[in-house]
Amino acid sequence: MNGATVAAPEGVREAITDLLKRGLSEKLWDAALVPARVPAGDSFAWLLVRDGSVLDETLPLPPVMAVQGARAIYRLARRGVTGKVAAVLRPCEVRATIELAKLKQVDLDGLVLISVDCPGALPLKAYLDDPQKGDADFEKLCSGDDSAAREVCKVCHLFSRPVSDLHFATFGMDSGKSCVVAGSDQGRLLLEKLGMAKAGSLDKWERAVAERQEQKKQARTKAQATLSQDVAGADKLLETLSHCINCHVCRSVCPICYCRQCYFESQAILMPPENILERARRKGGMRLPTDTLLFHLGRMSHMSLSCVSCGACEDACPSAIPVAQLFSMVGDATQSQFDYEAGRSVTEPLPTVTYKEDELAGLVAPYTETYDAREASP
Amino acid sequence: MTEALKITKTPDEAIRALLAFLLESGKASAVLSLDRIGQDGAPIYSLITEAKGLESAAPLLPMMPSNAGKLLAEMTELAPSPEPIAAVLKPCELRALVELKKLNQANLENLLLISTTCGGVFPLAIRNNGGISEKLAPYREALAKGEVADGIRPTCRACEHFVPYNADLTVALVGGQANDGTCTVLINSSRGAEALEGFEGERTQAKLESDAIEALRAKRAEEATKLFTASDTAAPGLDGLINIFGRCLACRGCSNVCPICYCELCYFDSVVEDPTPSKYEAQLRHRKATRVPPGTIAFHLGRMTHMVISCVGCGMCADVCPVGIPVATLFSMVGKSADKVFAYVPGKNLDEDLPLKKYEVDELSHLGEERIES
Amino acid sequence: MSADAFAPNIIGFFCNWCSYTAADLAGVSRKKYPPTVRVIRVMCSSRVDPHMVVTAFVGGADAVLVAGCHPGDCHYVTGNYRTRRRFALLQSMFESLGLGTERIKLAWIGASEGSIVADVIGGLTETVNRIGPNPTRQAMFL
Repeated sequence: MNGATVAAPEGVREAITDLLKRGLSEKLWDAALVPARVPAGDSFAWLLVRDGSVLDETLPLPPVMAVQGARAIYRLARRGVTGKVAAVLRPCEVRATIELAKLKQVDLDGLVLISVDCPGALPLKAYLDDPQKGDADFEKLCSGDDSAAREVCKVCHLFSRPVSDLHFATFGMDSGKSCVVAGSDQGRLLLEKLGMAKAGSLDKWERAVAERQEQKKQARTKAQATLSQDVAGADKLLETLSHCINCHVCRSVCPICYCRQCYFESQAILMPPENILERARRKGGMRLPTDTLLFHLGRMSHMSLSCVSCGACEDACPSAIPVAQLFSMVGDATQSQFDYEAGRSVTEPLPTVTYKEDELAGLVAPYTETYDAREASP
Repeated sequence: MTEALKITKTPDEAIRALLAFLLESGKASAVLSLDRIGQDGAPIYSLITEAKGLESAAPLLPMMPSNAGKLLAEMTELAPSPEPIAAVLKPCELRALVELKKLNQANLENLLLISTTCGGVFPLAIRNNGGISEKLAPYREALAKGEVADGIRPTCRACEHFVPYNADLTVALVGGQANDGTCTVLINSSRGAEALEGFEGERTQAKLESDAIEALRAKRAEEATKLFTASDTAAPGLDGLINIFGRCLACRGCSNVCPICYCELCYFDSVVEDPTPSKYEAQLRHRKATRVPPGTIAFHLGRMTHMVISCVGCGMCADVCPVGIPVATLFSMVGKSADKVFAYVPGKNLDEDLPLKKYEVDELSHLGEERIES
Repeated sequence: MSADAFAPNIIGFFCNWCSYTAADLAGVSRKKYPPTVRVIRVMCSSRVDPHMVVTAFVGGADAVLVAGCHPGDCHYVTGNYRTRRRFALLQSMFESLGLGTERIKLAWIGASEGSIVADVIGGLTETVNRIGPNPTRQAMFL
């Protein structure tokens, strides 16, 4: 295990900020992308930082995930970056960035991805209502009490060691200490250049992570079992979506949904009034805006294989629909069908761009089936 | 005094009965009404084609899950409705529809427009905060007395255009006449008159400008002054704007639900506005750091320049905002001032051209000619 | 001039037919005015979408100038009437938002009015020097 111990007397955030400063002054990177508290103090925004002195005002691993980090990277790096940018991300933000790279929306070459063990994030609206209480709740999260965390965070087992260049280990570490682990060649090179001391054994950390992962996996299975019953069948699913006002905010905050113009906002689904009236007549009535279920299932079909369960969608929904829990559950199901995990590996191809000649045999209906005309109804 | 129909039912029952009558008589092929769908009774607009579908309808419910003017525009964007449709809309939704017609985004043919004197709507957040049922009685009482109801959207509190313009039929909801077990519907057009023919009720003459309406108008004007001058959003300056929009996620929820923002692909999401390395470099030349995604304030101010003149103050934008930015208050305030420059009220006069579409040869002479002595 | 002196950065949209010609004339006539304006030539002042003024302002321009033909003299007949209304909208917006109107300016400049170009730019530069650089230059959280 390639790692380096860092002293973190003030906590891991300080250690991360120090690393960013070092990287800037030693020209390991030209800029840092890191969250900072906004001037009004009530939320956090990403800053692209050139000047190291600003880093003192930033806050890696903020209590909330306001703008999903991969979305920020996408907006930054869509047309390439000048020089190298070091981004400090939550593991789900790293995974989303990897997916975007596979979707050819981000070029990983210009990026140094730095991640940190994630205790979860707080629901955005709750934090905004009372930032002070939110900060206190986040402290609790960091010490293992995730009762105030977002629902998807409560069942997240991928909170550690994504495929980033450098990862800060905190769980199970002695207080005041952290460890930086390299996850790539670029990461290993950086640790060398930084001349950071090799860590001793990381067993304590690995054990703590494994234990927590097990807990989370069990919680995940349980939560998804309950949810799948709650939404089983069209009626129940429609009930869950009944408050949806088709604002599409879930789509626009989703890091994977990168389309400049969503199919479901395009001419393709624009219908003349004859169509609307006819469809309304078939059922005696139709909600407007129409095609609510189509939007959600359609979006699922487009991005489910890359869904990283980050929960940005549910944070943003004005109708309190458990959209992250729903998409997360479906994402797990669709990805596992291909033995795929979104963001797990940079080299693993997206399931839809590759195939094996012999696979998924169970999906295809048998070629011939006896048809008995006498059995068919008149 | 206008022709009116007095129906011996409460307004809720009366309008539901009217919509059923329109469907059953064939005078309307469909009606657009607020509905309560699913087991939770979620307030959502529905296009209803059968009278029995009206069982769950709540046409006068003070909620606005979508701006109904936007819904009608989206439906009639490609072509006018081929069949008669009756719609129950709030005054601001109707104004939005009229603005959209002027913007060539809606067709008003074959639409029967039913509106009400409006007491405002409750914010969408109320759906997760106990719901609306307990709020209805105090709401109606306030309306009966011509008072501003508690707990409604801030822009509703400050709305002075609560008597609808361009409605074929206006349901009186403000004042005592709305709370005495009967429903008075004013007939403003021949289309409205024709729709009511054969519907049971007492033909009468009525007027809307009752004491309650005047009282409410005065109170709303007070609220408008308070909201637009005394709050955080009044003349915020650059620092104030940075504070207000600091938590913006660039989710575009505001423009998505705005009835006036009809562009399929917003300019600010187009290729032209894509941040490029050189743009970031340019920004970092003067700053120690720059926000990503960039252009938050530019988006909001830019959107303002594009639509604020037609802003009807419906408040959908603030309601949908995931981070509770008072978008509606800010935009409404700017819109009101801008409209004053052109003596324009969005959605009031169907025949009046949009301010930026027309011009006078001699006007605004103070602009462009001033010379600063150097 | 010390190296640290504030150098105003003014973005100027000049319509091709009148105001750009006037600016050209100012140059040919050796009219002196401060080198603070980055000139963007547009065919007509009505090409300027009001959001362009906003973009320039938020992008750090210390002032934004829109220059066009005098009303009645527009090469495209009615263009500058549109410009005038849009500018009235912008002024109202900036006032309501507490951003002040000193940094946005509309100027009608005829083709022969080279000295007016110098006056307008000189005056605007003086204003900017007085009120200082636009805080949007340095603001990080725009």
